[in-house]
Order: sequence, then C-alpha cells, then structure tokens
Amino acid sequence: MSVQWLAVQSFQHNQDLLSAINKLSIHLRLQLEGSNDTERAEGANKAREMLSAFFRELETLVKDTEGGESVPVLGANPRLRQLARSFVTAKRNSHRFHSSLFRKGVGCFQQLLNSDRREDRTALLESLEELRVLLEEHMHVDAERVLGEI
Amino acid sequence: MRDILRQNNADLLREIELLRERLETAASAIPAEVKPCHEWIISFCAQLQATARQNLEDLNLGKDSILPYILSNTQVLTLHVRLFNQRLVGPVLRTRESDRLCLKMLRWIHSTHTLTQRIPMALSDGDFASWPQLNWPTIYFMPPSAQYRLLYLPLFFHEFGHLLYACHEPEMDELVKALQKVIAQFLEPSAQRDDRHAQSEAKRISVIVETWYEWAHELFCDAVGFQMGGLAYAYAFSMYFRALMRDQYHIRPEELERRDHPVTWLRIRLLADRARRMGFGADANVLEDTWNKIAATMGVVEDYYGFYIDDLLPSIQQTIDDMIVEAAPRAFEAHEVSAAELLRLDSTSRPTSPVQLLNQAWRKFLDDEGEYTAWEKNAIEVLINDKDLI
Repeated sequence: MSVQWLAVQSFQHNQDLLSAINKLSIHLRLQLEGSNDTERAEGANKAREMLSAFFRELETLVKDTEGGESVPVLGANPRLRQLARSFVTAKRNSHRFHSSLFRKGVGCFQQLLNSDRREDRTALLESLEELRVLLEEHMHVDAERVLGEI
Repeated sequence: MRDILRQNNADLLREIELLRERLETAASAIPAEVKPCHEWIISFCAQLQATARQNLEDLNLGKDSILPYILSNTQVLTLHVRLFNQRLVGPVLRTRESDRLCLKMLRWIHSTHTLTQRIPMALSDGDFASWPQLNWPTIYFMPPSAQYRLLYLPLFFHEFGHLLYACHEPEMDELVKALQKVIAQFLEPSAQRDDRHAQSEAKRISVIVETWYEWAHELFCDAVGFQMGGLAYAYAFSMYFRALMRDQYHIRPEELERRDHPVTWLRIRLLADRARRMGFGADANVLEDTWNKIAATMGVVEDYYGFYIDDLLPSIQQTIDDMIVEAAPRAFEAHEVSAAELLRLDSTSRPTSPVQLLNQAWRKFLDDEGEYTAWEKNAIEVLINDKDLI
C-alpha cells in the first residue's frame, strides 16, 4: 500500500500555488508598467485569496518549526512539515532570500497582498519571486516521486 | 525567449489535442463505471488548452518583463500535462472488459457515501494504492492478479479510507493533532534535565510524535476497512502481508523514524483489538495467533522501540473511533458478516450486498479451500451480471 498520493497531493498543491503566484505577478507587473489590466483583476484576486489561505496554514507550522528539532510539528502531513522547515531555513539564509516575506515574515506578506501602494506592490513582487523559488525547489522532490526521472 | 516559449506552448496545445482526440475515439469502449472519469478528463483537456492559449496570448503582449512568469507558467503546464498524461489518461485508455469486477466494486464503494458519490474514479495496475485528490478523479491501483479474484477486493476499503480522510481533512487533522499531543505528553520524561542526553531524547520524542501523523492516517484507513468490510477486510489484509518479508514484523528503530506506515504486525494488533471490541473475539485470536506463529518461526521479537506501547492503545483507538464517526463510512451489517448467516447461504443464494459476498468468499476459502476456485468463478460471474446488487 503505497503513499505516493502524499507526493501527488503536495505536487498538485504546489502547482496551484505556482499558478497563483504567476497570475498575480503578471497582473502586478503590468500595473506597475501603467496598464490597468482589468481583465486579469478577478484572477489576481483569487490568487491573493489562495496565497493568503496558504500562509494562514503555513504560519502555525512555521512557528512550531522555529521551536527547534525538539518541538514536533503537529497535525500536518510530512510534505507540509518539510515545506515549513524549508521556509524557516530560507529565512535564515539572507544571502539567497532577502525579500520582505523572508525578512519580516508572513504577517507582513499578508499586508502586502492587499496593499494598493506602489512600493508595496514592488515588495510583493520580490516576495512572490522568492516564494516561487522555494516552492519550485520543494516541488522537485514530489515531481521525482510522481513522475520519475527520464 | 519569446520564440522558445511560443514553441513549447504550441507543442503542448497539439499534444493535448491529440490526447483529447484519442480519448474521444475510445469513448465507445469505456465501461459505464469509468464514464464520469472519461468525461472529466475530456473537460480537463479543455482547461489545459485554455492555459496554453493564455500563455500564448501573454507572449503576444510583447513585454519582456513578464517573460519569467510565462516561463514558470509553461513549466507548470508542462508538468501538469505530464502528470495528467501518465496518471489519468492511462488508466482510462487501458480499461478492459476484465476490469468490470473491480470497477463495479469501486463504483459501489463510492456510492455508499454522500461525499464520494459524484467523485469519478478509475482503476490502474500496481500495488494497492490510490490517489485520493478531491479535485481530480480518484485512481485506484491493484495488482493484476488480484483484479480477477474476490479475496483481495476488501483492500479497496482501506484505499477508500484515504479518500474519506481527504473529504474531511481539516477535522481529521485536528483529531490527529490532539492524539499527537497526548502521545507527546505521555512520552515526556518525568524529570526535566538540561543536558545533551535530554536534548537528544526530546528530538527522539519529537520524531515519534510527528511520525504518528502518518500512522494515525493509515490506522484510520484500516479501521475504515474493517468498518466497511468486517472480517473480510481483516483476513484479506492479514493474508496479503503475512507472507512477505521480515519487515512486516520488525523494523529497525532508525528506519521507524518518519516511516509512512506503522509496522504491519502493529496494524494487525490494532485490527484484532477492533475486531475483539466489535464482538469477533475468536477471529481476532486467529488473526494474532497466525502472525505470532510466523514471527516465532522467524525468531522475531515484537518491539516498536517506543513508537508504540500498549498504554497508548486506548487513546489511539479512541481517536480512530472519533475519526470513523467524523467520516461516517458505511458500516457492515450483522447479517453480512455473521458466520452463522453466511453458512446458511448456499451456492444458489443471492448475496444481499457486496460486503456479504466478500465475507462469504473468505468463509468459503477458509472452510473449503479445495472447492473455493470453482465457487469464486461462479460468484464473480453472478456479481458482474447482477444489475441490482451493485
């Protein structure tokens, strides 16, 4: 009885998150360049909601993870626990991850998500870019388990 | 860069179109049980094509600043198509007439719960497993040799448990979290020290507590198996695993860490306990004796290295019971599993449900192995042709 479904679940969840990140990033970038991009506004709002819900879930796990190896992360599947650990490790690696998401934390990111200020949009774009890198690295393990290597 | 991405997205569009055409050509050969899955896949092709077209439209905006996002979207789409191609289209296109037994059983299982009635499903070859994604059809895997027999069909009930977990995930996770807290408190050392040994012990306890997330999930699925299939599930589970290697009975402590499944011998212990609590004491004893004998022959001593101790049993079973209440799988009825009732059925009797048939199969196999093959062949034929039973 295989548990490959955990990898599939994680893989699909991360695919959805990446799509949301890209959708919102294109919308923000076009807005910063002067376009209203109204046709993408609804999709961008849905992407905001999805990312917000994801971070509400991740925030609790991140707090547990920051307690160190002797504090168990409870009520979460192993791939989500690993993602929380990768997030904490990234926060400590300011050389690679220096956007406000990793410097100031999830709470700040949630504020940026709903801000209309131009400078916040730029900060949000940087955060989304680094979040994408983190998710792509995390998803690599799932992709290998689910699809194998050629 | 724009040209590279244009090529890839155009190629993906063609690939999806080819898949869609192939699926539509195969429509007439798709059994009724897989039709909802087939239809879902065709409509999903349209979604994938829409994503590729959106990427091409975004490329036509001519803005270099958004190329990295279009690249990422193209990568996501490529992986999506690959997963879809390998794991969803395959099971539908491979469907053959001999799948009917499994497909009818799976369709019936899905029909027993309001939350799963409308979830499409398909069957594929492989060791027992499932892909219980709520927004995709559920794919069930079964070894080819087991697909033409009754004896191992009850193991589908375990896989269905994974789907029920997914349907109730937030509530289930909360129940598991509460159990993890109980286990953490239970394992906490009575005297607090602050040295290297204490730190190492705290890490070990943390690993055990985290491992119980996956273990509780699997034990819940075993409980769903028993709740739905009764003794047929217990016997199928035991038979399937008992003659595998030593690792079904004993796992080294370092390998137990974050292991997806509890040691099978422990799962048998908990199944036997569940069977005993539901009034099947004699069968529970047979189950445990069988595993004890095999373990003794191999010289294996039961040891879970602190990942499980008997004192935890009441809390574990209470949590699993609460999860069963939350998920509410169809419970077997007394007449479907009672040995006396099953003995009264003769070869011409029509079973009242698939659960009764599976329990009858196990009773027959255990009591009269020599006659079993002929009986099973006839029973499968009756089942496949019975339009009312399933």
